[in-house]
Amino acid sequence: MYRASGRIMQQLRHRMPAPEGRLAVSLAAPALKTFTLRQQQRHEQVRWTATSTVSSKQVTTPPPRHDWNRAVSEAERIVGYPTSFLSLRWLLSDEIANVALHLRKLVGSAHPLMKTAKHLLYNGKNTMQAWGLIVLLVSKAAGHAPSVPDVEQDKSAGVLHSQRALAEVTEMIRISHLVHNSVVNLQSSTEAGQDAATYDDMSFGNKIGLLTGDYLLGHSSAELANLRNQEVVELISSAVRDFSESEFIGERDEQNNPLPYKPGTFQRPSLSVAVDFNEHDVMTPMPIAQVLGNPEQEWECRNILNAGSLLGKSCQASLKLAGQSEELQRHAYRFGKHLALAWQACLDAEPFQCPTLPLDTTFSLVSAPVLFHLEHDPSLYAQLEQGKQSVDNIDYDKIHKAVLAGPALAKTKELQRKHTAAALAVLQHFPATDARQALENIILAMQDL
Amino acid sequence: MACMSTSGRVVCGSRRQQTHKFLCQLFGRQSGYAAAVSSSGSGSGSQLLPIANTQQYQLVRRFHGLSFNLGKDYLDLLQNAHSCSQNLKYSQCSKTNLRQHSSVHTQQPAGPVREIQIDPYIILDDELKYFYDDVRDLLQSGTSQPELDTIASYYFDGQGKALRPMVTMLMAKAINYHLNNESHQLVHKQRQVALFSEMVHSASLVHDDVIDQSDFRRGKPSVNALWNHKKVTMAGDYILSIASIMIARLRSDDVTIVLSQILTDLVQGEFMQLGSRETENERFAHYLTKTYRKTASLIANALKATAVIAQADDNVAEVAFQYGRNIGLAFQLVDDMLDFVSSTEQMGKPTAADLKLGLATAPVLFACEKYPELNPMVMRRFSEPGDVERAFELVHKSHGLEQTRFLAKKHCNEAIRLAQELTESPYQKGLQVVADLVINRLK
Repeated sequence: MYRASGRIMQQLRHRMPAPEGRLAVSLAAPALKTFTLRQQQRHEQVRWTATSTVSSKQVTTPPPRHDWNRAVSEAERIVGYPTSFLSLRWLLSDEIANVALHLRKLVGSAHPLMKTAKHLLYNGKNTMQAWGLIVLLVSKAAGHAPSVPDVEQDKSAGVLHSQRALAEVTEMIRISHLVHNSVVNLQSSTEAGQDAATYDDMSFGNKIGLLTGDYLLGHSSAELANLRNQEVVELISSAVRDFSESEFIGERDEQNNPLPYKPGTFQRPSLSVAVDFNEHDVMTPMPIAQVLGNPEQEWECRNILNAGSLLGKSCQASLKLAGQSEELQRHAYRFGKHLALAWQACLDAEPFQCPTLPLDTTFSLVSAPVLFHLEHDPSLYAQLEQGKQSVDNIDYDKIHKAVLAGPALAKTKELQRKHTAAALAVLQHFPATDARQALENIILAMQDL
Repeated sequence: MACMSTSGRVVCGSRRQQTHKFLCQLFGRQSGYAAAVSSSGSGSGSQLLPIANTQQYQLVRRFHGLSFNLGKDYLDLLQNAHSCSQNLKYSQCSKTNLRQHSSVHTQQPAGPVREIQIDPYIILDDELKYFYDDVRDLLQSGTSQPELDTIASYYFDGQGKALRPMVTMLMAKAINYHLNNESHQLVHKQRQVALFSEMVHSASLVHDDVIDQSDFRRGKPSVNALWNHKKVTMAGDYILSIASIMIARLRSDDVTIVLSQILTDLVQGEFMQLGSRETENERFAHYLTKTYRKTASLIANALKATAVIAQADDNVAEVAFQYGRNIGLAFQLVDDMLDFVSSTEQMGKPTAADLKLGLATAPVLFACEKYPELNPMVMRRFSEPGDVERAFELVHKSHGLEQTRFLAKKHCNEAIRLAQELTESPYQKGLQVVADLVINRLK
C-alpha cells in the first residue's frame, strides 16, 4: 500500500515545478486520502468515524484540499509521540510554574509576551508547532547507521532517543527566541518608556520574558551537552547565533520591527546562486550583505536566519547523531531550510489572501509581498517611511490595497511553490518510508493552506 | 592586560636565580600610596622579610585596578601560608620543571624588601595579556552585523576585574603543575574555558541590565541605556552562542557537560531571586543556594572543567570545584557587603542597589536577627517609602556586615585549605592569594 501511494507521489513530484503541478496534487488527493483512511481504519478503529466524515465532506466538495491537521496528526502517530513538545517536562518545572504565576499579573497588560504565550499555546494551523515533529520525521525517514547500539533506539517509533532529545531542544530554542523577541524596548528615548502607568507592567514583563527565554536556552544547552556530540553542539549553537543576528538586519523602528531598505540603496547585480552558510565553518555568518536590495534573495537570507537555519541545522544534526553520511546530512539541512522558507512564504501571503485587510491585522514590512511590491513600485516606500519611529504609524490598509493591485502576491505564491518543490525534490534522496510520506503530506497540506 | 606595570618585581628567591626567575610583587608601604619598595635579588634574595610590625600600617595596594585593604585577615594569612621556607621549597620543586615567565620586570627601585607576595595577574601575564582582544576577535568573527558586534563586545573593554578568567587560569596551571603535565596545547584549551567563563559572565550582565534597568555599570553607561533592549537581549544570546561554539570545538563531551551546568544554574539562580521564603532559616538557605547558582557555580564549574581537560582524577577535579565554589561564595558575600559600605564612585554603580531592587542579601538577613522589624520589609521587598533607608540604617546598626564578612572569611579559609592540597607552585600560591584578594577587595 505504501509503495502504491509512493508511486503516486513520485509522479506528482515530477510534475511539481510545472504549472499544472498544483492541479495534479488536487487530482491525486482523493487517492491519498483513501489510502490514509484505510491505514487509520486498520490501526485505530475508534477514530474511524470522525475522520471519515471529514474526508467524505471534502471529497464531495471540489476541489479537494489537503488537510493540515490531519497531516500533522498522522505524522505524530508515525514518530510515536502524541503532541507538541510544549507539554513536556520542562513545562512542569518549578521555574516555569513560577513564570505562569507571574504571567497572571501581566494578563490585561499590553505586554507582547502575552500575545506570544497565546500564540504558542494556540494549536491552530497558523502556528508551526511542528518543528520538533519535522526533525523526528526526517530522522525516521533517514534511519540510522547499523553501528548505533540497540539501547539508544526507540524501536517502536524508529528514532533514536538522542534524536528525540534534539527535537525537543529545537522547539525550546525556537520558543526561547520568540519569547526573547517579545521584550519591549524601554529606552528613555522611546514612547514605550514614557508612560508611567504601563512602565511597571512592561518592565516586569521584560523580566519574565528574558528569564523564561534564558531558562529555555540554558536547559537546551544542557540537553545538547548530554547528547555527547560536539559537532551537534556546534551546529545548534550556530543556529542560536543566527537567530540573534537576524534581529540586526536592516533598518528598524523603535521597537526593532524591521523596515525595508530605501529602494536604490544597493546597486548590485543579482547573484545567480542562492547565498547560504559556509558548510565548512559554522562560525562564519551568513554573507547577507551580498544580496541586500534583491527582494527575493534578501527575503531568503532574512528568513534563513530567522527560521530556516534552526530547522535545517536541526535536521542535519539529527542525522549526525544517527551516523549518516555527510551527503545525506546536507540533504537534511536543505530540506529543513526549504520547508521553513516555504512555510514563511505561506505565512507572508496569508494577510493578502482576502480582498480587504481584516481588522487589527498587520503584516511585516519585510514580508515577501511588500518587498516584491517595492521592487515593482518604489513609490510605496514613501508610505513605509512613516513607520520609521513606529511601524504602528503606517496605514496598513493602503499598503494592502497597493500590494493586491500589483504582481507581488503572485510572486509570493511563486516563491512558496519554488521552495515547496525544492523541499520535495530533496526528499527524493531519502528512502520511501511512512515518515517520508508524512513529510510529503505535510508539505502538500501547507501548499493548500 | 598591558597595564600591569604597577609594582611587579623580580625577586630571585635563591641561588638558583640564574635558571629560575620568580616573578612576584613586592609591596609594603606606609600610610597609603607610598611607592613600592624592593631590592634586587642578586645573591641576597633569600632574605625575604616578612612584614614586621604590620599592625600600624594601613596597607593599601593598587592591584590591577583593584584596591585592597589589607587588614588583620591578611596578616594571618601571610603568617600561615607564605612563610619563607615555603619559598625555598618551591624553588626546589621547580628545578625539575624549568619555568620561564616571559614578562620579566626589570625595574628596580631602591629600598629594603618588606614583603613578598605573588600577584596572580602578573604570573598569568602570558595568558591574560591579550585576553579581551581574543574575546573581541571571537565575537567579531561570528557576525556580519557591526551593531551586534558593538553591543556584544561592550563589556569586554578590559576595564573589568577579569577575576573569573584569572582564577580559572591559576587553577588550570596549578593543576597542570600538580599533574606534572604542561603543554601549550593543554594550556590553550584551558584558556578557552577562561574565555567561556568571562563571556558567560558578560552575557548575564547584559541580560541583567535589561532586567534591572540600571543606568551605569563599571563606571560607564550600561548597555540598556545605550541600545534598543530587544537588540541587547539578542546580543546576550549571541555571546552565549559564540561561547558554546568555542567550547564545542574543544571536542570534549565532559567539558561541555560541566560547563552547560553553569547556564542552568545561572537562570535558576535568577528565578530564585524572584521569590523569597517565609521563615528566617529557610530564607538564609535560599539566599545561599541562590548565591551559589548565580555566582559560585560559574567559577566552580569553570575550574572543574580545566581539571577535566587536564585529565585529572575525580579528587583533583573536586578540589578545583570546591575551591571555586568557596571563592565564588566569598566573592558574592563580600559584594553584598560592599553594596552597603562602598561609595558609588568606587563601585561604578549605585550603592544599596540590592535593597532598591528589593533583594535581601546576607547583611540584611543577619540584621534581621537583631531587628525583627526588618522581616516584614524583607517580605514586601522594601517596596514602601522609607524601607530602603530604614533597612540600610538598621544593617549598619547591627552586626550584619561583620557577620557577612566572617562568613566570607570562612569560605576563603576553606578555599586556601583546598588550594594547599595541590602541589606547591606559584600558581598554587596564587590561588591562596586570590582568596585574600577576594576578602580584602574594596570594589
